[in-house]
Amino acid sequence: MNAPDRYERFVVPEGTKKVSYERDTKIINAASFTVEREDHTIGNIVRMQLHRDPNVLFAGYKLPHPLQYKIIVRIHTTSQSSPMQAYNQAITDLDKELDYLKSAFEERISRKLRRVDMEY
Amino acid sequence: MEGAGGGGSGGGSGVSYQRFPRVRIREMKDEYMKFELRDTDASMANALRRVMLSEVPTIAIDLVEIEVNSSVLNDEFIAHRLGLIPLCSERAMEMRFSRDCDACDGDGECPYCSIEFQLNVRCDSDQTLDVTSADLHCHDHRFLPVDVAQRALAAEAAGGYDAPEQRGIIIVKLRRGQELRLRAIARKGIGKDHAKWSPGATVTFMYEPEIHINEELMETLTHNEKLSWIESSPTKVFDLDPKTDQVIVADPEAYTYDEEVIKKAEAIGKPGLVEIYAREDSFIFTQKLDAVRLSDDIQDNDDQFGDLTRNIQGAAL
Repeated sequence: MNAPDRYERFVVPEGTKKVSYERDTKIINAASFTVEREDHTIGNIVRMQLHRDPNVLFAGYKLPHPLQYKIIVRIHTTSQSSPMQAYNQAITDLDKELDYLKSAFEERISRKLRRVDMEY
Repeated sequence: MEGAGGGGSGGGSGVSYQRFPRVRIREMKDEYMKFELRDTDASMANALRRVMLSEVPTIAIDLVEIEVNSSVLNDEFIAHRLGLIPLCSERAMEMRFSRDCDACDGDGECPYCSIEFQLNVRCDSDQTLDVTSADLHCHDHRFLPVDVAQRALAAEAAGGYDAPEQRGIIIVKLRRGQELRLRAIARKGIGKDHAKWSPGATVTFMYEPEIHINEELMETLTHNEKLSWIESSPTKVFDLDPKTDQVIVADPEAYTYDEEVIKKAEAIGKPGLVEIYAREDSFIFTQKLDAVRLSDDIQDNDDQFGDLTRNIQGAAL
């Protein structure tokens, strides 16, 4: 009865921003990013990428409630960097890695298909 | 692809922590694919699996207008069954989502976002008539239900023979005098919205195991002890080389990470006989689909990722 519609999982409503940012007032170099309409698929991958950055002291994500379709990513960094920088860096690196993966796949698939064609 | 240099739009350090994953395809058929993914993280492998199941767009019937239904199943029952029929979705990437389409008013007439099917069956004989997915007709021949397209191909190959068991997915059965006439509109969607749009019947991945047999300790076992140790594994991972009487690894990937062989080794008093651990950066994916589209197209979901990351980043600034 109270369950939200299924398309709420991925459609960002008008007026809501996809990502919002909140600095932590009590700790320096700490912030939370709230990403709307995303889930573990993106959360886990961003968190793992943030862990590879040596400037990041703490990186974690959570889904505050399974029926609220958003994730909160919390980042603490050293003074060498800032959470915003770390977040952007992680996302850029993931973007590049996925592009690389995609081209690797396409190359492999075309190679496989060509080999199959040659057999005939 | 360079590893250093080219930092993000907000980053100033100029160092990239990117990984360079490698792929090797083992088998690729129309509805089955097995490949290896290396040099990346488990989160990436899991994200790939999640996206393959729920975020690759396909086409399925979404709106049904029933004119006549005198069958034993009620209207919504039949509409539900129609939705679950897999349709050829090779054109799905070119179509727009219905909610994004501004060329129409959502009633299904628009060529950019919907495809219309007709079903018109009446039973006039004393035999029970099966209404199947083969009775769904569309003016555009690229959108046949999957099994119909497959059988058309198979029929060409086999010279037109059509076995009675392969008549298509049964929707409903009709008796004499019962009729079913409807108009169905198929739209593009993703598995997250409803499972009918999910292309993957199963997508699984496993860590690749690395097995080290302690040869010296193995030497101290008798022939029968070796055999019983090999037998203790539920899947055939090890084998006995008949010529040298040595235990060899027959199929490392049959190992399902149950530790039966390790427990057995301890039980016979030889702990440390074998060491098996999962390589953290190597995954073997197996995917089986409804043959909605060629399995290689599924990899294009990386496109989805690209869009998402740009979305997340751009909006943050």
